[in-house]
Amino acid sequence: MLVYILLIILMAGLSSPIYAADPTPRITVGTQEVGLSAGYLLPHRLTQNHTTKQQGVALMPSWMMTLTDPIGDSWYRGQVSLGAEMVYIQFQEPFLTHGLGFTPKIKYTFVALDRIRPYAEFAGGPFWTDLAGKIPEESSRFNFVLTAGFGVSYFLTDQAALNVGYRFQHISNGGTRYPNLGLNASLPFGGFSFFF
Amino acid sequence: MIGRIFSRPLISSVLAITLGLGTGCSHWIELAVSTDAAPPTNATVATDARMPLLLETILVTHNGSSIAPPAILERQVLGAFEATHLFSQHYQSGYTQPAADQARVTVRLSIDNLVEPHAGQAAWRGFVVGASMFALAPFISLNYDYGTEMSLEMERWDGQIKQYTATSNGSAHYNLFGASPDVIEQLKGQVTEACLSSLLNQVIRDSPFYLASSEQPQGNPIRTVSVGVRHSSTHTIPVSQPITDSSPR
Repeated sequence: MLVYILLIILMAGLSSPIYAADPTPRITVGTQEVGLSAGYLLPHRLTQNHTTKQQGVALMPSWMMTLTDPIGDSWYRGQVSLGAEMVYIQFQEPFLTHGLGFTPKIKYTFVALDRIRPYAEFAGGPFWTDLAGKIPEESSRFNFVLTAGFGVSYFLTDQAALNVGYRFQHISNGGTRYPNLGLNASLPFGGFSFFF
Repeated sequence: MIGRIFSRPLISSVLAITLGLGTGCSHWIELAVSTDAAPPTNATVATDARMPLLLETILVTHNGSSIAPPAILERQVLGAFEATHLFSQHYQSGYTQPAADQARVTVRLSIDNLVEPHAGQAAWRGFVVGASMFALAPFISLNYDYGTEMSLEMERWDGQIKQYTATSNGSAHYNLFGASPDVIEQLKGQVTEACLSSLLNQVIRDSPFYLASSEQPQGNPIRTVSVGVRHSSTHTIPVSQPITDSSPR
C-alpha cells in the first residue's frame, strides 16, 4: 500500500505540467515546520525471548526548525533541521494500553528533486507506557524510545507538504530495571506539514 | 503558608523559563567595517547640471555561481542612486529608456556575494542541542556569515569610464529558537546597504565628473541640490532650497 502511495506521488510529481514552472519551495535557515503524522505500529520479535506482539495506532505531532540552507551540489544536496516530536501510541494488542513520549528529532532532507523531497530522520527521548509490567519484555513504565527512519515529502504548495515514510522504533528502559529486552516495531506512517 | 512554600520555587522556575526563552530566542547581527571607511560625503551641485542615469546591467554571483539578480535588489540599487540626488532621472534597462541621443551616465554593477552558513557547525550544534533536550539551546549560538563585493562601472556620455569597488560583510548570530528567515534577510539587507553606501560615497566624491559643465546664464540664479549617500531609511537627504528665486523655470 505504501509503495503504491509513493508511486502515485512520484508519478504525479513527474508528469504534472502545472508544477513544471513553479519555483522550488524555498526552505531557508529559520524556516519552521509543524506537522502531524499517523501510523500503525507492527511488532518485530527479534529474539526467541521476545513474545509480545504489540501493535497499535501512533500519532506524532512535530515541530522542526531548519538549521542550514541547502548544502552540497549533487544528488545528496540537502538541509538539516532540528525539532521535537510528541509520540502517542495506543497499544491495542496485547492489552489496550497507552504510551506517550517526547523526542528531540534531527532530519536531513534531500532537496535535489524540488517538490519531492526524501528525508532521513533520527529521534530519541523519554517514553512512558503502562504496557510495561504487563509483558515479559519490559518492567518499568519509564522508558526511552529511539526512532530511525526515512520518508518522502511532496510539496503541494510552497508551504504545505504531504509526507509518507517508514520508521524503525525501539523502546526500552536503558537498563534502569530488569527485565529490559525492549520492544521493536516497524511504523509506516503518513502525514502533512506546514512550513512558515 | 502554602503560598509561601510554593512561591520561591515558582518564582525561580518562572525566572529560569523566562531567562531561558529570552536568551534562547535571541539573535544579533554584526557588521564589519566597510573597506571605504571614509566619512559620508556631501556636496552641492547645480540642479540643471545633473544628467540622467541608466542602470544597464547588474551581474550577481552567489558563492561564485551566476544567478539572476532579484528584482528587489535592482530596486534597492536604483533607489540608492535616486536617494543621492546626483542624477536628474533614473532609468533601468528593460523599462522606459532615455532617448537614444540623450546624454546620460551608464551604470554597470557586478555583485559577488559570499555566503558561509556554517552548515556543518549548525548540524553538529543542533545535534548537541537536541541531545540535551533543548536545555543548551540558550547557550549555544549558531552563526551565518554573509559578505558582498561590488564593482561599479560608470560610463559618462562621452565614453569616459570610472570604476569603483567596495566590500562589506557581516555575521548573524542566533540561538535555536531565535532562528528566522527574517534574521538572514536582515543580515543580507544590511550588508548590501552598507556596501552600496560605501560605493555611492565614492561616486559622490567624484560628483563633478558626472555633471554637465553648465555655466550660469547671466541674470539667472542657480538652483542647487545637496547630494549624498542615504545611510538609513530614517535619514533624509537634505535638499537645498533655491538660493534667490523660487519661481518655476
